[in-house]
Amino acid sequence: MNTAADILFGGLFQGSLYAMMAVGLALVWTTIGVFNFSHGVFMMLGAYLAWQFVALGFPAYVAFPLAVALMAGVGWLLQATVVRPLIGRANLVLVVVITTLAAGSLIENGALVIWGPRSKQVPPLLEGNITLGGIGVSLHQIAIIVITPIILAALWAFLNRTRLGLALRAVAQNEDASRLVGLNVTALYALAFGIAAALAALAGIFLGGYRFMTPVMGADPLLKALIVVVFGGISSISGPIFAAYVIGFFEAICSYYFGLYWTPALLFAALILTLMVKPEGLFTRSGRGFA
Amino acid sequence: MTAANLADAKPSRPAASAIPVGPGRVPWQREAVAIVIGFAVLALLPFVFTDSYSRHVLIMVFIYAIVASNWDLSLGYGGVFNFGHIALFGIGVYAYSLLTKLAAMDPWLAMVASGVIAVIAAVAVTIPILRLKGIYIILVTFGFAQLVMQVILSQSDYTGGTQGIVRIPSLYVFDHNMVRDGKFAYFYIALALLAASTVFLRAFVRSRTGISIVALRDNEDYAVSRGISLVKQRLITLAASAFFTGVAGAFYAAYQRNASVEVFSMSLGTIILSMVLLGGTSTIYGAIIASFVLTVFSEAMADFGAWRPIITALLILVVMLAYPGGIVGMLNAAMAVFSRRGSAGRG
Amino acid sequence: MLNVARLTVGYGRVTVLDGISMEAGRFGNVGLFGPNGHGKTTLLRAVSGLLKPRGGAVQFDGEDITGLTPRAIVGKGLIHVPQGNTLFPDLTIADCLALGAYSSRARPHEAANREKVLKLFPKLRERWRQRVRTLSGGERQMVSIGTALMSHPKLLILDEPTLGLAPKIKDELCKSVLDISKSGVPLIVVEQDVEFLLELTKHLYFVNHGQVETEIKPGENLAHSDIMAMYFGH
Repeated sequence: MNTAADILFGGLFQGSLYAMMAVGLALVWTTIGVFNFSHGVFMMLGAYLAWQFVALGFPAYVAFPLAVALMAGVGWLLQATVVRPLIGRANLVLVVVITTLAAGSLIENGALVIWGPRSKQVPPLLEGNITLGGIGVSLHQIAIIVITPIILAALWAFLNRTRLGLALRAVAQNEDASRLVGLNVTALYALAFGIAAALAALAGIFLGGYRFMTPVMGADPLLKALIVVVFGGISSISGPIFAAYVIGFFEAICSYYFGLYWTPALLFAALILTLMVKPEGLFTRSGRGFA
Repeated sequence: MTAANLADAKPSRPAASAIPVGPGRVPWQREAVAIVIGFAVLALLPFVFTDSYSRHVLIMVFIYAIVASNWDLSLGYGGVFNFGHIALFGIGVYAYSLLTKLAAMDPWLAMVASGVIAVIAAVAVTIPILRLKGIYIILVTFGFAQLVMQVILSQSDYTGGTQGIVRIPSLYVFDHNMVRDGKFAYFYIALALLAASTVFLRAFVRSRTGISIVALRDNEDYAVSRGISLVKQRLITLAASAFFTGVAGAFYAAYQRNASVEVFSMSLGTIILSMVLLGGTSTIYGAIIASFVLTVFSEAMADFGAWRPIITALLILVVMLAYPGGIVGMLNAAMAVFSRRGSAGRG
Repeated sequence: MLNVARLTVGYGRVTVLDGISMEAGRFGNVGLFGPNGHGKTTLLRAVSGLLKPRGGAVQFDGEDITGLTPRAIVGKGLIHVPQGNTLFPDLTIADCLALGAYSSRARPHEAANREKVLKLFPKLRERWRQRVRTLSGGERQMVSIGTALMSHPKLLILDEPTLGLAPKIKDELCKSVLDISKSGVPLIVVEQDVEFLLELTKHLYFVNHGQVETEIKPGENLAHSDIMAMYFGH
């Protein structure tokens, strides 16, 4: 009984985290067609900004949205400086990988200079623990499990039910045609990046609430986000979201039976196998765009 | 774009291309002379830099240059988004360490063997990604690198886990005292390795195989329809890029005399990748030059603490934003201004 | 209405159009024809702002629009339907038409234009919620043109609307284009099918080697065979 509850809860929790971490990356990839390798750093920065605002005296429910909003601005800044000027170049994806890596390194070390290497913690979304189905869980984890689908649904609604979201989807599919319909492609790129950064910040706040934060905490989530996106099929946003939960459950099961140590290796092995069999990812359909 | 006329200039290509066309328009004799002269100059450096520290920096430059220029082969020429290259270096490090320490193999033999093992590993990585599209390759190769690191960490009985391996037997040159000559011997060994690697890479790039991988990179469907085997060429390219990388790793272990999983870290990988891109992909020499620039630069800032990576990152950003062709692109542009030859790209 | 004066356009080191001049509107619709790869599409892309010209000027409705962004040009009512119909593969027909009315100039007329488009292309109503990817070539072309009409054009440019379509679909589409013209929208049409162009307009340009080689004005009654000779003589 406990095993099932443990795995179920663990899977939901990890899945929600991964979904939150991956969706921003997927958004930028499907819209602009580049991989933002400072995505992990965005998460870290979001967490640190939240911590800073709390340290300045703001209550959490003010500090968190403030941090998220500020990160949206950072995302805009990043794409304006190290992504947009490169559009149209040969080998865009590769060059953007290196510029976003460099920018990420810059921000990471900047954080080190500003906040120092000692670990910090952001207050959790909700304090306290309860017992659910025989296992002890924290309210923070429950909050994450509940909030994530809500945010994802909001994103879906934005993309599929608003005019602006329609514009974003159009740009993802055909840039020239978008221009000829009068869309401001540059501004839409900026919007996509801003949203992605805000989502990353939220993921960072989730992470910071139950783990210790350090300036280098972004590396692992970046890798996980990449895995989720590729696993889920890089041509849509819903694919990675499904994949996030699948991987979350896979990890929960693996950790339970094989221990935390071997789980990453097993995950990679599973990933490689999947890609050999179904190179487009698990949940993909052909063509780029949003599903 | 056929393999046949790759060597000709393509005027319709936008000038700001990060990957220049073709493997080289300079006749090989002239290039050979340039290589000889270049390395002769490098060979004189220990007489200019007589202190141990400078020579150490130069040795690290050479090691990184080997890794970076070999990465240029699979990444730049082959167009394979191979993020596992750094793992080959690490494999070389650990292969050498284990062979010399546990199997008591002769260090020179172990160095060669490490290269071979790296090649085997490269072939093993290539098999899953033989037909994948670019982006997925990033992930699988990256995952492979992480996997190797995990395995090494977990087999701590042999590999020392997070502590690494120490007191690794080093190379020997007859009876020469390798320790007290101010790194003189190590310098020349490193230089010789770099020379061998560079000659090998340039020869490969000029060969028929080299041309065919560029053809595959630039227009896969067409190349395949002309009978070039994607699978075979990718395999050969990745294997070729692995040998000297593994050897460089072995040398690194022999030189530092200890090994740790640091060599698999993303930060080292990032630096080396920067050298490849900064130098300008598809040039081989670019990576070598960038290795000089970045390593020296980085060493000069050794005391700057966290500011060092910040300034390095800024340098990378500035160059990448301003010069799509990397450092080599910069040099070309400068040369064009001086010699009025127009923007004749070098291969 | 549209005036192109000595326009020079190129890609990288290659110059495609070297001082080309033409005008549209004085004699009604305009047709452009000529061998492939000789600059017609490049001309259209320069006019609609996708390409920046290196020299020369473009005037629309009395205003100089040279070098403006596509967004600004769309805002003035100059709408370009590009060649090929990849469009937006994963958007539905409903989405596309809604997208067409995105600009602030077109939005007030969205409902009215949508009715007009559906009257013109009733088949789109049947497939309203289908994604463009699943449509046939002819249907996609209808969506392309329909989307452009939603942008409330003052001048509509069609680049090879019947390319790759089966003859029967071609005829239907040609009829629709004529209907659009009759409804009062000035057109510039690039086409291989010169017969169709002749039905549409008496003002034609034969574009070859990046230049206007021949301009045929209304009243100059050129025999069909002469036109064919122009075409195949090169």
